[in-house]
This record gives sequence, structure tokens and C-alpha cells, in this order.
Amino acid sequence: MLDAQLNMKLLEMCSGCGACYSICPSSLNLPGYDPRAVIKDILKGDMDKWLASKSIWQCLECHYCLEMCFQHYGFENAMTALRTIAAKRGLHPPQVKRGWDMFVKTSRLGEPALPARKKFGLPDPPKSGAEEFKKLHALLKEAKEKDARKAHNE
Amino acid sequence: MKEFAVFWGCTIQTRFPFLEKSTRIVLDEFKLPYRDIDGFTCCPEKSLVNNIDHSLFVATAARNVALADELDCDIVSPCTGCVSNLATVKSELNYNPVDRAQVNSLLKGIGREFKGTAKLAHLVPFFHDAVGVQRIRQKIKKDFAGMKLAIHYGCHMIRPSHALKNDDPLNPKKFDNLIRALGAESPDFPAKMMCCGQGLDRVDQHDYALQMARLKLKELKAIGADALLLCCPSCFLQFDNNQFLMEKEGEKLGVPVIYFTELMGLAMGYSPEELGMNSHRVDCSGFMKKWDGLKAKPVDTQSLEDELNKAGALG
Ligand code: SF4
Ligand code: SF4
Repeated sequence: MLDAQLNMKLLEMCSGCGACYSICPSSLNLPGYDPRAVIKDILKGDMDKWLASKSIWQCLECHYCLEMCFQHYGFENAMTALRTIAAKRGLHPPQVKRGWDMFVKTSRLGEPALPARKKFGLPDPPKSGAEEFKKLHALLKEAKEKDARKAHNE
Repeated sequence: MKEFAVFWGCTIQTRFPFLEKSTRIVLDEFKLPYRDIDGFTCCPEKSLVNNIDHSLFVATAARNVALADELDCDIVSPCTGCVSNLATVKSELNYNPVDRAQVNSLLKGIGREFKGTAKLAHLVPFFHDAVGVQRIRQKIKKDFAGMKLAIHYGCHMIRPSHALKNDDPLNPKKFDNLIRALGAESPDFPAKMMCCGQGLDRVDQHDYALQMARLKLKELKAIGADALLLCCPSCFLQFDNNQFLMEKEGEKLGVPVIYFTELMGLAMGYSPEELGMNSHRVDCSGFMKKWDGLKAKPVDTQSLEDELNKAGALG
């Protein structure tokens, strides 16, 4: 359910466009970041070489390309799909792994700084939603496993 | 005005409680009907969670929105990332009944339901639209006439526009209007709309993060901006913290980074200490000194009025 996927039809259109390249902050500033090259390789069926690259993590998700795009696709969506595949193979950066672990364990990316709150006279922080979140995550995993079994049997 | 919950987000509560302080001060000054809600989790951070598990990204955000739905209140956040992520999911679920049904069958298991009735807004467009420049101007004790304050919108304040629908996504105006209402000049500069680049720090590419920060800060030096003005804890981290790290390595750019709520607080007569500005890494004393030296002048109301009322002023 709800998985980021590559949309080959839209990417076909990209191969003749490239408009987002001209406005993308990563393309403009980071050497080797080139949506057009990635799209070409995906369409050739040769995306694997990008999965272990630093490039796919350099998309800033600034959504410039999405706003520019005549198909409202945006190159970022291809990048998200590549990152999802890379993460499934364990190729994501260590920092992303650590952040993910913390998120699934605690439901957030850090706990409220209590001593500083006191210093600034801030009220006690609202209660955490961690327990309910963990239950939700477990339910989601169950639903996914059920989906997978169903797909396997079909 | 309808009651709203403040969505503080992880970064402000973990790293920058002083930003919560100045936000509360400003909300109190305007007597706005805000509240806290128990049980909010991370929005969640898109670049982290969505890349690994889109369905958990959607379910988590939907649950957060559902908490506000249940209490029949809206959500306002001083973090651009939080609003943008919540709004992205809200629009995805509002337009995809099948996904929405799937998510709601999950949420049912924890006694929640996503209705999507809560309106979501970032603090800056919220102040522009719901409070309004007139009311803000009435509250100003001393404006910023004579100061050049460079705005960094922060990508997620305005994009993706199909979900946020609050300003022109490529040529936004609202933050500029507010700063001009506070009497300051908001200069144009080539990198004004460029992404801060903080995301690179979250994927172990620190040097590139610094490179992006440097680019904008150098431009601000060149045009003689008195400060960089923003309203996102992630952008704040990028320009305050990372600028400080560059300083420590001997590269001093010296651009104070001011949060929107701090600027409002100052204009209403609060001291930098009361607003927690002494917790910044990059020194703000030069900015304060220049401002203290300027005489309090009333805002040039007529030209502002003309600008705000001319055709297409809001894009
Ligand atoms: S994502 Fe959109 S703008 Fe970018 S190349 Fe593809 S079609 Fe063109
Ligand atoms: S979202 Fe990513 S690919 Fe799109 S313009 Fe921004 S950095 Fe470039």
C-alpha cells in the first residue's frame, strides 16, 4: 500500500523536457547532480548505478521542480522513488538510519529540552503521542504483511 | 477567530526552545486563541520518513491532523517543514478516497479518524492573512525604518503550492509585506528564493550544506543586509549554527539571523534577552546597536497602503 514508485510514462516525457534542471538548486550548485542523466539511465533500465550514489540524497525536496513541471510530476518524485529503493537495500546514509530508528522508537526526532524550557519560563510540554504512534506503526506493518501474503498467493 | 493548536515540531522543542518563547510572546500580545494539544508526534520529517516508508509518513501525518480535527481546531506552526508535510498528506488524502479509506481503517485501530477539516497554516502567512498588517502596525512601538532585512522564505512555507495554497510559490509576497509593514526594507537579491540547503546536513553531506549557506550569506554581505530574516527552525539551523561553525574555522561572515517572531517581539518593545535572542550562535549585537541608534519613525503608511492595494499585489 502507498508506496513511492517510478512512473515510466511521466519519465518518458521528462526525457524530452528537462525544464526543472534550469531551476533546481542542487543542479546549479552541486557537481554531478544532473536529473537528465538519471532519467536517461532509468529509462534505459540502468538505475542501479544511482542507488549507491550520493546524488540521490542531494535532492533538497525544495519542490521547485514540482511547481515548474507541466505534468505536475517533478524530478523529485523520481528521486524519492530511487531513495526508497536504495533504503530497502540498506544503502541509505548512516544519519538517515539513525534518524529513522529514533523516529520509530520515540515518534519524534528528539525530546523537548526541559532545563531550557524552565529557564525561559515555558509551560510543561504537551504529552507525547509515542505509545499510540507505536500501535499505529504495528497495525501498519500487519496490514502490509497481509497485503504481501495476498499478492504472493495470487 | 477559530481556535488553533500550535504545532511546534521536533526541532524547535529539542534545539531551539527560545523560538517557542518568542512565538508565545507574540501570540499572547495579539491575544490569539491558541492552545497546545497532547499527543502530537513528529510531523513527520519528509526527507527522512517518506524516503523509507511512504505509508508511515502518510499515517503519522494523518494522525496528527486527526488530533486537531477531533478538537475542532486549526493548526498553525512556526516551522515551515511541519506545515508543508502535514498539508501534503492532507491534500493527498482529500483527493484520494481509496488512500484515505486505507489510512482511516488503520487509524480506527487507535480510535482516531482523519477528517481533514483542520485548516493548516504557517505562522507568517497566518499573520498576514488572519491578523493583518493593519493590526500589526497598531501594535508597533518602534519600527525598523532604516534597516535592510533580507528575507529567506524557506521553501516549505510556500511549496508545494497545491497543498499549501497560500502565496505565489515562485514569487511570494506575504513575508515581504509583513516586513515592510514593520518599516524595514526587504531587498531583492539573486539567491533570495534559493533553498537553504540544510537538507544536505541530514544526509551526511555537511561540506555541501556549508557551501549552500555560504552562497546566500556572501550575497547578503555584498548587498549590505543588516540581518537575514526567516521563520523556520531548519533554515535557522543552517544559517545560524552553520555560519557559526564557519566562523570557528576562521571564515567570519557576520550576518545576524533573526526569527520572524523575534523581530515582531522587538518591534513591540521586548528586549533581546526576553525573546531569548542571546541563545543565538551568531552575534546579534551589531544589529541591535544599529537599530537602537535609529530614531523611532512612523511607518510610511501611504506608500505601503498603495503597494498592498494595487492590482495583483498578492500574486
Ligand atoms: S519533472 Fe517535469 S519539468 Fe522536470 S523534466 Fe520531467 S516533465 Fe520536465
Ligand atoms: S526538489 Fe530536488 S530535484 Fe526538485 S528542484 Fe528541488 S533539489 Fe532539485
